Amino acid sequence: MHNEFAWGMLIVIYLFTAGLSAGAMVTSNSALLFGGEKYARIGRWGAYIAPFPIALGTGMLLLDLGSPFNFYHLFLQLQVKSPMSYGSWSILLFTLLSLVYFYLWLPERYQFWSQPQRAVHWQRLLAKVMPILAVIVASYTGVLLNAAARPLWQTPLLPELFLVSAFSTGIAAVILAGSLSRRWRAKHHELHILTVVDVVLVVIELILFAAMGLSAQLGTLSQRQAFAQLLYGHYAWMFWLLIVICGLVIPLVLETGELKGKVSAKWAGSLAIGSSFLVLFGGFFVRYVITYAGQWTGWVR
Amino acid sequence: MVSKIYTWEQLFSRRQFIKGSAAAAALGVAALSGLWDLGLGYGADSTVQSTANQGIRYVPSICEQCVWRCGIVARVEDGVVRKLEGNPVHPQNLGRLCPRGNAGIETLYSPDRIKFPLIRAGERGSGLWRRASWDEALSYTAEQMKQIKDKYGAKAMMFNSTDNLSQPFFEILFKAYGSPNYGTQRSLCFNAMTTGFLYTYGVAQPGTDYRNCNYMIFSGRNLAEGISNIETQEMIDMVARGAKVIVLDPRFSKTAAKAEWLPIRPGTDLAFFLALLNVVVKEKLYNQAFVQRYTQGFDDLVKEVVRYTPEWAEGQTEIPATTIRRIAREFAAAAPAAIAHPNWRTSNFINSFQSERAIAVLNALVGNWAQPGGLIPDQSVNTAQLGTIAHPTFPPAQGIRLDGVPWLYPMVPFAFGVIQTMRDNILTGKPYQARGWLISRQNPVLSIPERQKTIDALMKLDFVAVIDIQANDTAYYADVILPESSYLERYDGLIPIGNKIFIRQPAIDPLYDTKSSLMIYKELADRLGLGDFLPYKDEKDLLTQQLQPFGVGLEELEQKGYYEVANFKVDHSKDFAFQTTSGKIEISSSVMAQMGKKAVPTWDEPPKPAKGQFYLLTGKTAQHSQMFTQNNRWLLEVFPENKAWIHTSAAQQLGVTNDDELIVASEVGKIRIKAYVTEGIRPDCVFMVGGFGHISKGLKAAYGRGASDSALHKALTDPISGSSALSQTFVTVSKA
Amino acid sequence: MAVKMGFVIITSRCIDCDACMVACRAENQAPLGYSRNWVTNSGIKGRFPKVKQSFEPGNCMHCDSPSCVAVCPTGASYKRSDGIVLVEDAKCVGCKYCVEACPYDARFLNPNTGKADKCTLCIQRLEQGLQPACVQTCLGKARQAGDLNDPDSVVAKLLDLYPVRRLLTDAGTGPNIYYIDVPVSEIPEGK
Repeated sequence: MHNEFAWGMLIVIYLFTAGLSAGAMVTSNSALLFGGEKYARIGRWGAYIAPFPIALGTGMLLLDLGSPFNFYHLFLQLQVKSPMSYGSWSILLFTLLSLVYFYLWLPERYQFWSQPQRAVHWQRLLAKVMPILAVIVASYTGVLLNAAARPLWQTPLLPELFLVSAFSTGIAAVILAGSLSRRWRAKHHELHILTVVDVVLVVIELILFAAMGLSAQLGTLSQRQAFAQLLYGHYAWMFWLLIVICGLVIPLVLETGELKGKVSAKWAGSLAIGSSFLVLFGGFFVRYVITYAGQWTGWVR
Repeated sequence: MVSKIYTWEQLFSRRQFIKGSAAAAALGVAALSGLWDLGLGYGADSTVQSTANQGIRYVPSICEQCVWRCGIVARVEDGVVRKLEGNPVHPQNLGRLCPRGNAGIETLYSPDRIKFPLIRAGERGSGLWRRASWDEALSYTAEQMKQIKDKYGAKAMMFNSTDNLSQPFFEILFKAYGSPNYGTQRSLCFNAMTTGFLYTYGVAQPGTDYRNCNYMIFSGRNLAEGISNIETQEMIDMVARGAKVIVLDPRFSKTAAKAEWLPIRPGTDLAFFLALLNVVVKEKLYNQAFVQRYTQGFDDLVKEVVRYTPEWAEGQTEIPATTIRRIAREFAAAAPAAIAHPNWRTSNFINSFQSERAIAVLNALVGNWAQPGGLIPDQSVNTAQLGTIAHPTFPPAQGIRLDGVPWLYPMVPFAFGVIQTMRDNILTGKPYQARGWLISRQNPVLSIPERQKTIDALMKLDFVAVIDIQANDTAYYADVILPESSYLERYDGLIPIGNKIFIRQPAIDPLYDTKSSLMIYKELADRLGLGDFLPYKDEKDLLTQQLQPFGVGLEELEQKGYYEVANFKVDHSKDFAFQTTSGKIEISSSVMAQMGKKAVPTWDEPPKPAKGQFYLLTGKTAQHSQMFTQNNRWLLEVFPENKAWIHTSAAQQLGVTNDDELIVASEVGKIRIKAYVTEGIRPDCVFMVGGFGHISKGLKAAYGRGASDSALHKALTDPISGSSALSQTFVTVSKA
Repeated sequence: MAVKMGFVIITSRCIDCDACMVACRAENQAPLGYSRNWVTNSGIKGRFPKVKQSFEPGNCMHCDSPSCVAVCPTGASYKRSDGIVLVEDAKCVGCKYCVEACPYDARFLNPNTGKADKCTLCIQRLEQGLQPACVQTCLGKARQAGDLNDPDSVVAKLLDLYPVRRLLTDAGTGPNIYYIDVPVSEIPEGK
């Protein structure tokens, strides 16, 4: 028994990047399936972003292992009771397929197909499959923490929270890339639709936090005390300032302002960049605070 | 050849350590590959199947993580001691070990062991050393000791040691040398008790029958934290059995947590016991037949204790008179299976001798002597006697003693001594100037009150030599360190307990270039021309001589770990032959009367702290032994540092919370220490565990941890018993 | 009935000396800074002079449905048929999921081995007919271990004789350390 944090920054980065990739993937998939050519830049940026954060995160995950050279044992079996087991498989599959998907989105000269339609065919096929994997990758981390039987992590809303946050950060990453790049710069209508979705996600996230808080109040003493650490204890400043205010409320205000046309076109670009950066920032601290506060708080004997 | 000079850091860096000695090379490899990674890995059960390993030996021996001498069995796997376990046949522990005993392996394999003889190579206390051969180190020590004897007489040389199995042989060396100056831990520990009981029963340290006792009053024996293995086990059983246990302690000790706690005002235990005597006498609760037959001076006591009513004692002790009265009645009703425990340190005041006398007399009044659940007479008559070592007659000790016995302290028994006064007289140079000090396995710098004075005294001497397994704080100020083998690597003198004779023997060969103290004393004696006094070739030769009266060879003893003397008769005929002047239990002490002092226990008002001052209390923790184990990293895992206990109300006034740094200052010194804020201490007291605050950089794990009580303690001595009144030091406390 | 290994711990007999922790360290070579077992201290409760303090030894509870085993992604953590929960080092990747999942904080990642580390009930000693190191050394006989289902075992007899409680039953893992807080005057004879 000791009081160190067994899971630290490496795991936080992994949780964040996996969600980010999953979100970017779904954003791309949706743009391709439902938006077609009109939303091609979203589809492209989502595809270009998706493989890399999760690859970085998986690297972190490996570094965090006590016996990294033993990692292959994760893939010698499937332990159905262990979210980490099927999570590992999902990450592996997701990362590999997202690399394929990424390849399929590369300009034609990089494609080995003789007919470009073949690529499109596979693109569309993957776009139908990947959301399922993405949802698993984004939400299983919540299930993973659920199963770790700590009071703060036990809330059944954690997978939903991570899922919503994942999509939100994925979209924000696409907005950011689409606004910053010169090539394939996102069009106004593309940013608009992304912003609308993001606003909805941010609102859902706020509702989820409120619901989690409420259910904790109705839960065991351990859960109440664990949540108290978040609301007015050791992690309160991070929770309120970094997550709620910076990561949720400010982006919400900026984005709704933008949607209502209260922002001049001159500032719209910078505003989109600013708010999506804040969403990413907040998304990171959602993982950080949940990870650390979950270990900080224990069972009340 | 000019030898290289090393600092501690260099001396015990891994590189040096491997270069240092061929004997160490084998272990060096082990250390490099991570000692514990060798051999068995018990992590998974797949590897455990290999437990039927080759090369496992079980070596029965005796523990030395404190002075209690528990029986152990060392499990040695391929030359590495892996586990120490209690020896079930040993009466001191019946197979169980305390945390310290379990941590003996770390004592053995500590990176801070002294690995070869060292001679000082810089200023005294500079921490600069050079490696010396045994021949050089011993010859140098002998030369210095001879020079001192030639120039100033044998009396200018002091000898110090503490309770251990080879102590008798150190004492032979000391007596053969001819010095009158010998210091032990006694006056810092239990002089008040031993003297008090000696003058009452003629027995310095009677036993206590926990197994049958139904009512126990502890007033200075904290068995949960000052572990004496079997006694602690018996105390736990006693509590579980439902026996009543009263603990007088200004601090809520872990023993108090198992008992009725009376947070008595420091220094007033005497008033409590005088009031118990008052009630027992007044209400005629004493054992009249026993008192009449075995005691003397009862009538004087009756007269004396009239004034010590529970109401009077309440004013002194702050324990309600009703509680005192109730305890007196309960205690007497439970007698003879009731004990007012003789304790070790009692209240640590000048008046502690009187407290102990009152305790001794209370036990006598209820007649618990040699009764089930009462005090147990001297056990030495019922202990097998070892073969004696024939040696020439000792020369007469030359000159009077520096520790003031008997010229300053006429009533302190010769064997008990007053070490703090000996130290003081190094500084005063009176009645003559001490010049040299040979210290075996003792650490006066940390044990004697007023640490700075001890350091000053060491600096004043011409020559200081220390025998120990680690560079304790005194060794740090030495000229020569003679490294002793640890208790798992050496033999010591045999130890008889009852009808059994136990042996300490090496579980493994010495890891380094070290020797047993038996051989260090012997070889030193040889070089001093005193070899005849320690007439043995080697340890085995000595032990064979000790075994001579019994029909057993050393080999058999080594194999079994003990020898049971056949047809040993337990003799109770002398249980009531009290070795006092009157031959009775002396309620009225004839020695006290002779010295013109009040002969029955009497009130002696203890001083009180001034406003704004606290009593400074000191005590033990279960995880450490005196000043010896604080460098043991396994024990630091379970008790990393001492803190100053302070009551919540006092802490609030100081604006202090847990772990804030405090400055605690007495007349003689000042320390920084972390606060432990608690409801478990009187608001007028500050408590700290002793033994921390090491200043030797040779103790790398212990250095700088916690603070030393000896830096604060004033050296105050009870003139009757020579006991050091440690708690009569008052301190101020402020936030650092 | 099937063998079900577990502990009965008599808190009233514990003096917080930590011998069990040091004995375990020696027996199982736990690295400095980590421990497979513990003694928690209630702290001194109440107001001077009416105060109390209690001590509660513990270690892996060898639960009926151990969350550490459930979450292990490689099957390295497993529960033997006799109830002892173990880690098979060869399979352990050191993901620390089990460390997180244990409601009792009974596991740690051993920095020397890179594997999850925990109380094994000293199976290497059990195989030799010895008691676990912590039980063997306990001065107060506060720690007892054995087959909870064997009516002749010390632990089963204690369960029979005294009121017991378990820790964090809310967590739902079915812990197999039973605590007795009342005085136990004598430890029954048994296996």
